Amino acid sequence: MHARDPHARFAFLVHPLGDAARRVAALRCARPGLAFGRRDGRDGQDSLRLCRLLLRHEGRAVEGVVVSVPALPHQLLEDQDLALRLMRHALAHADGGVRTVGLGSLLAVVAGRGVELQRHLWQPVTTGAAATAWAAAENSRAAARALGIWPRGPIALLGYGGTVGRAVAEQLQEWGIEDLRVVARGPVARRAARADMQVHARAEGAVASCPLVVGAATTGGILDPAALRHGAVLLDVAIPPTLSSRPPAHVRVLAGEALQPPGGYRRGLWGRLYHLMAGYGPQHLFACLAEPLLMALFDRREPFAQGRFVKPEALRDIRRLGTEAGFRPVLARRWRTVTPDRLGRRPRGSS
Amino acid sequence: MALPADVDPQIYAVVADCFAEALGLDDDEIEFDSKVIDDLGAESLDLLDIVYRLERAFDIRIPRSGIERASREGLEEGESYEVNGVLTEKALTRLTAAMPEVPPEEFKPGLKASEIPFLFRVATFYYLVVKIKEAQA
Repeated sequence: MHARDPHARFAFLVHPLGDAARRVAALRCARPGLAFGRRDGRDGQDSLRLCRLLLRHEGRAVEGVVVSVPALPHQLLEDQDLALRLMRHALAHADGGVRTVGLGSLLAVVAGRGVELQRHLWQPVTTGAAATAWAAAENSRAAARALGIWPRGPIALLGYGGTVGRAVAEQLQEWGIEDLRVVARGPVARRAARADMQVHARAEGAVASCPLVVGAATTGGILDPAALRHGAVLLDVAIPPTLSSRPPAHVRVLAGEALQPPGGYRRGLWGRLYHLMAGYGPQHLFACLAEPLLMALFDRREPFAQGRFVKPEALRDIRRLGTEAGFRPVLARRWRTVTPDRLGRRPRGSS
Repeated sequence: MALPADVDPQIYAVVADCFAEALGLDDDEIEFDSKVIDDLGAESLDLLDIVYRLERAFDIRIPRSGIERASREGLEEGESYEVNGVLTEKALTRLTAAMPEVPPEEFKPGLKASEIPFLFRVATFYYLVVKIKEAQA
């Protein structure tokens, strides 16, 4: 069923990743107090409307607003109840008619991965994990094909124990990957072994001979680039990045969750700036942002992702809707699309 | 495995339930002395979720890095907790005292501050909850 409202709305909640982002956002909203470290506003919880987004698709339209809560990552981690209050406050002051709520970055993790916020709202709250897993899985398969290792592998996947990592692994297996190597411990490792994955205790062991590595761990800086084989491609979904230091020239690091939006997608000047500051270039967007957009566009009332796990059917569903709306997972590097043909070429520094 | 005599089974049952829900595990996969990362497969963000569930379940506030902070108490002014990320001898001593549920041999010289979470047991969180509840009482 499609949205009947010609302007179905969604809100996407984010937070500044650092002081520089906070200052730019606050100045854009003419809030110098926030720019210089205070959480001002009547009750210290005022949020900032960063930009508006619009997608027209086959006679329907969906409008979104990106809202930043006034707290840095360490503040959100320190007090998860504060994070919850800030999210509720941001939504209470967003424009009326918001039908879907998406959570970005740490907001998708704190306070029970969307579950606690959902208790206070009638709108579905979604974390973006399904769309992220969709993009990462599609991009992994595309990269493996370009490297000539699909479906036999090997592909190493870091972060199998996490929400996105597990969903990506299951999707790749459903598509027929033959040699998937994961890093896992305890009961998670036993489950991976039962599912015919090759289980390693350490990331270095898993990636050692793999031409393609998917970084989906929830902790950044977990892999020494020296552990990667010559010419390896790292598809990085992790924020902060997977590698502990700058990679050598022969290792190519690609964005793992990039989507190319359809032609009817408009984000305006501030929307472009937001994407740039978040790390994505003018041609791409975060997959997690597309998730509430697609839910609003297709009038979905059940969140695609909330809590610890993404159901396989949710992944299939968002893949179908995303494709229908014209979103396309793309391999991207430094804000540019990388074609499979280019990825298949020998990297710099190769002998 | 039987619980130690000083453990309140009702409180422990709630703690174990928080772990099971946060990690998507069965209750019988959680043991009092399970290592949270190595045995249960938790990732860093899972620790965040576990802490949040414990806070909700017990109506308490667990300070982030609470264990590390506790182990810093008692260091005198000018004494270092870590040097280039490696814990000092004094810090190791403090940490050993702050985490009695961890076998002392795991606090070996060269241990990095970033490796402290690998020492965490389910018991670590149990005792943290009990300590905070007692302080609130």
